[in-house]
Amino acid sequence: MRELHRRWIYLLVALALSVPLILRVSVPPARMRAADRAYDLIRDVEIAPHQIVLMAFDFGPNIKAENGSQAEVVLEHLMRRRIPVALFSLYVQAEPFLKSIPEKVASRLMAENPGEVWRYGEDWVNLGFRPGNFLVLQSLARSEDITAFFGKDAFANRLADIAAFRNAKTVKDIALLVEISGLQGMLELYLRFFRAEGYVPKVVHGCTSISIPDAYIFLDSGQLSGLLEGIAGAAWYSARLRKEYPRQEADEAQILNTSLGVAHLLIILLVIVGNVVAVRSARRGVAQA
Amino acid sequence: MSWEEATILLAGIATLGIYSFLIRENPFYRFFEHLFIGIAAGWGIVFSFKNFIWPDLMVPMLGLDIITFPDGTTSHPYNPWTLLYLVPMAFGLLFYFVYSKRHAWVAKLAIGFLLGMAGGAELEGFFNLILPQIVGSFKPLVVFDEGIVDWGASVTNWVFILTLILVMYYFFFTFSRRGIYAERIASGGRWLMMVCFGAYFGSTVMARMALLVERLQFLIAQWWPTVTGVLS
Repeated sequence: MRELHRRWIYLLVALALSVPLILRVSVPPARMRAADRAYDLIRDVEIAPHQIVLMAFDFGPNIKAENGSQAEVVLEHLMRRRIPVALFSLYVQAEPFLKSIPEKVASRLMAENPGEVWRYGEDWVNLGFRPGNFLVLQSLARSEDITAFFGKDAFANRLADIAAFRNAKTVKDIALLVEISGLQGMLELYLRFFRAEGYVPKVVHGCTSISIPDAYIFLDSGQLSGLLEGIAGAAWYSARLRKEYPRQEADEAQILNTSLGVAHLLIILLVIVGNVVAVRSARRGVAQA
Repeated sequence: MSWEEATILLAGIATLGIYSFLIRENPFYRFFEHLFIGIAAGWGIVFSFKNFIWPDLMVPMLGLDIITFPDGTTSHPYNPWTLLYLVPMAFGLLFYFVYSKRHAWVAKLAIGFLLGMAGGAELEGFFNLILPQIVGSFKPLVVFDEGIVDWGASVTNWVFILTLILVMYYFFFTFSRRGIYAERIASGGRWLMMVCFGAYFGSTVMARMALLVERLQFLIAQWWPTVTGVLS
């Protein structure tokens, strides 16, 4: 066992992850209380005609398995509720997702609900990638006219002409911020600077597994109103969506979550076996000495 | 073969090239590693120029957004104030003086400005970030739920407060810790941090798995069907 080459472990992990993907099996996800809070908040949020929800996609292709799934389920929920969503990013590599994810969600919803239409400009608007890091957030929070601040959408259309955004004036018209990122320090930027005098928007965050411990700090202090913890959070959110909208087409979050669950069990098993072997070898060494 | 199929095939080969490192270091892996880094860096530069520097700075400055109608009138007059954009642009270019041994001090002007601005902003941001956490750490040690003691929440708050005090004590170096009890309290703080590091390590493993599962999903659901489709 001590001579086992790590390549065999890589192979075992790859197999554990692949089998549920190939067989397309999924088990019901575990209940995630923080994701429940996010779901309940979005289910109950009341949006005035001049208000929007701002979704920040601050993730690149490398972490799209977790953040992409979260973005899809939350955006789907907002679109089902016909809440206008403005999408933007502070991270250049997220730019393709600002276009592809809402289009994917809208086409899925239209296939599920024949006769209903989800349109760009009415249900969502893509503000694109905005360079400038915290300066963008600080300026946005202090802007007296956020339509003029952004000026144009990602396709060079004037925001003043876009129905979803036309009536939003200040940051106080952003009823909710959904920030999805696994980048170190990105959430903190929003918590630091995305607020106006007398107004702090409610924040829902989607994080990767590696940043869960950091995000819990803000959930505990009340700076976050809801949290989607990695794929498990997305899978539970998706399960809640399907409960409320039974016609919802199965998405990938639950299958990915099952794959990860199998791989985690394998890792736990390997840790136990490795420790047993190490202890037995140590005892044998002491006995021989 | 369509353009989309070609990109899927190439993406699959690149993924396998990167994962070939698991067998051993090899030129195939190194080629795709450099390719990825180059594309990631190049994407940012090209995207920023195409979407911001050109349309937001250069076009108004050069008056390229002015449309001249057949009757000779224009959509709007040229705004000479846009030339002021040259000032921050020129100031930003001072960064490149770091490459000159003789004039490297010029770059320090831009660096100093950036540090001062970031420091000022951080002062505001620090309080917005930390104050709610300090307030959030004031927790009741006995939690009541509709007049009945909620033992679960109470124990959770005890664990929280105990961890907070022990860990803070561990990092309290103003006075020397003398005596067995002082050392044991500090040791308790260290043990609790070890538990935290364990949780972090577990999260790290989970995150790495999530990266892998996304690539496997791509290989299984998109790449392999494309390969078999092209070959058949």
